[in-house]
Amino acid sequence: MKYFLLNIFLAVSWAILEGAINAPNLVVGFILGYLVILISRRVLRPYRYLRLIRRVLSLVMFFLWSLIVSNLLLAYSVLAPHLNLMRPRIVAVPLDVKGDVPITVLANLISLTPGSLSLDISSDHRVLYVHVIYAEDEKATVRNIKEGLERRLRSFLLPSQEEA
Amino acid sequence: MSLLSQVFLLIGAFFMFVAAVGIYRMPDLYMRLHTNTKSATFGVSFILLGAIVHFWDLAVTTRAIAIILFLFVTAPIAAHMIGRAAYIVGAPLWPGTLSDALKGMYDPTTHKLAETLLPEAAPNASDLTAPSADHPFSH
Amino acid sequence: MVLTLAFLLLAAAFGLAFIRMVRDPKRDHRLLTLDRVVALDLMSTLSIGLITLLAVAFNRPLMLDAAIVIALLAFLSTVAFARYLEKGKQ
Repeated sequence: MKYFLLNIFLAVSWAILEGAINAPNLVVGFILGYLVILISRRVLRPYRYLRLIRRVLSLVMFFLWSLIVSNLLLAYSVLAPHLNLMRPRIVAVPLDVKGDVPITVLANLISLTPGSLSLDISSDHRVLYVHVIYAEDEKATVRNIKEGLERRLRSFLLPSQEEA
Repeated sequence: MSLLSQVFLLIGAFFMFVAAVGIYRMPDLYMRLHTNTKSATFGVSFILLGAIVHFWDLAVTTRAIAIILFLFVTAPIAAHMIGRAAYIVGAPLWPGTLSDALKGMYDPTTHKLAETLLPEAAPNASDLTAPSADHPFSH
Repeated sequence: MVLTLAFLLLAAAFGLAFIRMVRDPKRDHRLLTLDRVVALDLMSTLSIGLITLLAVAFNRPLMLDAAIVIALLAFLSTVAFARYLEKGKQ
């Protein structure tokens, strides 16, 4: 958290020195500030912060990539001459993440990624029911969801829960 | 008008068209929700990106990004609400659907979803409490 | 040219969503209503895209405010419809 404030401070200083506080300057300042913290890591020891930013970025990139793939796939399946290639299922995904906010984030991410749409969650919040369009193999589908999105989400949700 | 903005607008319009074709063609309500959530949101985001590039102005950019973020947060929630209502009302699944894990899980009067413990859920859940060796922050 | 094509695509999309909304396959009326809610939800998303396209075509960035309002209202109405239909028989 301390390093996040430091990074924001560096970004704002960069924007002020550039002469205008606007979005492009702040973004450039944030990236440069991140590089400064990266370079001075032996003195500051901000390993947790650096990893957190990297993990958030990894989730965001993975999410954007799956979003593009999912839309191309869906566009293909919608425009394909016949619909018999689809193998829809409703699968039950056992959840490892705990807490309302992480589960909500995970359910939203699942809805926006390839061919899957979260329908509901069991009342003990341990199983998420997902409608999947291309699910030839049920086990593999569940594994993909757990190892793709949930693992990435857990990797940076857990440390923040430890801090709290 | 810049080329980039034209490309974005066209991609966006194309995906919105795909969403409408999906609404028209998809065989059951759940799959129509898929196109509604993904293609339509994706298309609108691209149209808004095109507007950002076209105007290149702070007020427009913040507004467009606010709309995009709002849509990305709300579209899955709306889909969840409609999907749940559809399942409770009894919307039929497409005959080609291979399996249905939700079958018989809803209480018909209270509409409450049963508390489930899948056989593979238990070991995973106990995994979470034990500190794992590959934990990214346990240095 | 590109704008015309984009407008045509959106118009076709509106047409398809509209057909889906008005046709009546003689089924349980709550189910039919859900189908219509989905089509209406798509149409509100389409109108956000249409307003943005109009803002670009006429060079009027203020039109985006209308798009914000539609985005907010569409979500609320969809959720309200879904809740109402789910509770229908009680």
